[in-house]
Formats: sequence, C-alpha cells, structure tokens
Amino acid sequence: MSETQQLSHDLKCMIIETLELEDITPEDIDDQAPLFGEGLGLDSIDALELGLALQKRYGIKLDAEAEDTRRHFESLAALQALVEERRVN
Amino acid sequence: MQQIRLGDWLGWCPDSIDRLQHPQLLTTDKPGQSLPAMLRRRLDTSGRAVCDLLARLDPDARYPLIHASRHGDASRTLDMLKGLVNQEPPSPTRFSMSVHNATLGVHSIANDHHRPLQALSASGNELEAMFWEAAGYLAQGQSSVVVAFSEGELPEDYVGHTTHPGFPCAIAMRLTLNQGPCLMNSNTDGSEGAPHPFDVIRWLSGSTTTLAGRQQQWRLEQL
Repeated sequence: MSETQQLSHDLKCMIIETLELEDITPEDIDDQAPLFGEGLGLDSIDALELGLALQKRYGIKLDAEAEDTRRHFESLAALQALVEERRVN
Repeated sequence: MQQIRLGDWLGWCPDSIDRLQHPQLLTTDKPGQSLPAMLRRRLDTSGRAVCDLLARLDPDARYPLIHASRHGDASRTLDMLKGLVNQEPPSPTRFSMSVHNATLGVHSIANDHHRPLQALSASGNELEAMFWEAAGYLAQGQSSVVVAFSEGELPEDYVGHTTHPGFPCAIAMRLTLNQGPCLMNSNTDGSEGAPHPFDVIRWLSGSTTTLAGRQQQWRLEQL
C-alpha cells in the first residue's frame, strides 16, 4: 500500500471510529462522494467531531467559521489533501 | 382529578437478565431497531431501548412523551468530566448528547414526533414526577400520555452510592383516563427507597402487588 493509499485508509478508519458509524467499513466510503448531507450522511455535530479528531491526530487546527473549512470537508479526497498539506505530526 | 389508568406497557432489559419471561418484556441485547443507524449511534443501550418502547406504544407519534431517568447517560458524562480534569477537549457529540432530553430528541427526529416532550430527573422520585406530569397532560385533554423510565450502565465509581438495578433497563407505560386498570396510590411512611425501572417491571409483571416509592405507593385495581 502506497503512502497515499495508507493515509486514505487511516482517514476512513478515523471517521468510522470517531463518529461511531455502525455497519460501515472503510471500503464503503467513496473518496469523491460528499461526506455530509447526501453521500455518507454526516451532520453538523459530526463536522465538529471530525475537526477535533484532525487536531488530536494530525495537529491541524481549523477555524469553524472559515469559508475554506467547508471545502476541506467536502469529501474524503478533500480531507486527505488537507492532511497532506497541513499535518504537523 | 380523574383516576389515571394503565392502557398498556412494555419493558426492556438485556437478554442475560430476563428471569421474568413476561410477554411484554422485550429482551434483546441490541435495542434500537426503531432508529436509523445514523441516529442510533448517538444513544447508549438504554436510550435506544427507550426509543423502541416509545415507538411501540406511540406508533403514530400522537401522544405527549415523558422520559425519566435518575442518572441519565452517567457513564459518558463521567468520562467527559474526567477528560476535562485532564485538560482534554470534550467530544462535541458527547457534549451535545449529555443533556437529559437527548433520548427524546433523537426519538422525535426519527419518528417525526411534534407533540410535547418532557425529560425528568427527580433524585429518586421519578415515578411520582412522571405520574403527576402525565396527569396534567390528561387533564388538559390529551387522550394518552406515554411515560418511559430508564437507567443505563452505572459507572463503577458510583456503585454503592445510589440506588440502581445493576444493569441497564427501561419501562414505558401508556397512561390514559378511559381504559385499563386504575393506578391507585396511597401515602407511605417514607421508609421505602427509590424505585428503579426494574422494580416497575417486576411490579407490572405481577411479581409484586404494590410498588412503593418514598412518598407514595401504587397498586393496580381492575374496575
């Protein structure tokens, strides 16, 4: 597994574990599909929970009010791009 | 005030605990089938059971609902408090669900319920509080009120400091003025403890004839 594939897998596992998603495996999460609303169907509390998980695991602090935060959470691929760019651990 | 009657009831306790073998007692270790998975994940086992009982006793989402729990989701709340002591930021999900009306909130979303909802905690007087509140709704003209009483897992740190059945359990009753046995109450001498949900299950299953609280005791009477 390449480094990119490993990070994608790690992020999917983080989402499933952090958000206590039942009956969902990493394979069920499409890299390009929306995470919120349709697609995986996450909600606003999940967004806050994911923000905290990114801070704990990768040292990335997001501004909840910033316009680009919404963009980072659009899909797994967008989240992965954010982590690759801004991770500090 | 008109006499409150017990229209119907259902209870839940884990499969491993069921010694009563009563048909109105649901015994599954995985309650929550009335909830979609994305909502179910937010509640602990007893919260999920409460939603299942409410969905069965109020299938058309027509009645006011009252949920009482003396301790609520004490395990998650205590974990969150311990985290705060260690300077850890609390989980937004756990924080948002740590309010006492979280279970009814999840149930109302899942069932599109728009009637009154009320969450109670009364330091061991939950039954009195539930019956009084239900009497109020019935006096206002509601045809039925469904009341649920539950306890989740008690954190190890609290064991021995409070009355608790020792396992998660839940009971729900549909109360009305015109059907079923009458709920007769009388004063106690104050020597009894605080009944928990499994005491209510035992009473309604016929294991005991009366249910005694701190101030009142109840029995069912067929008219």
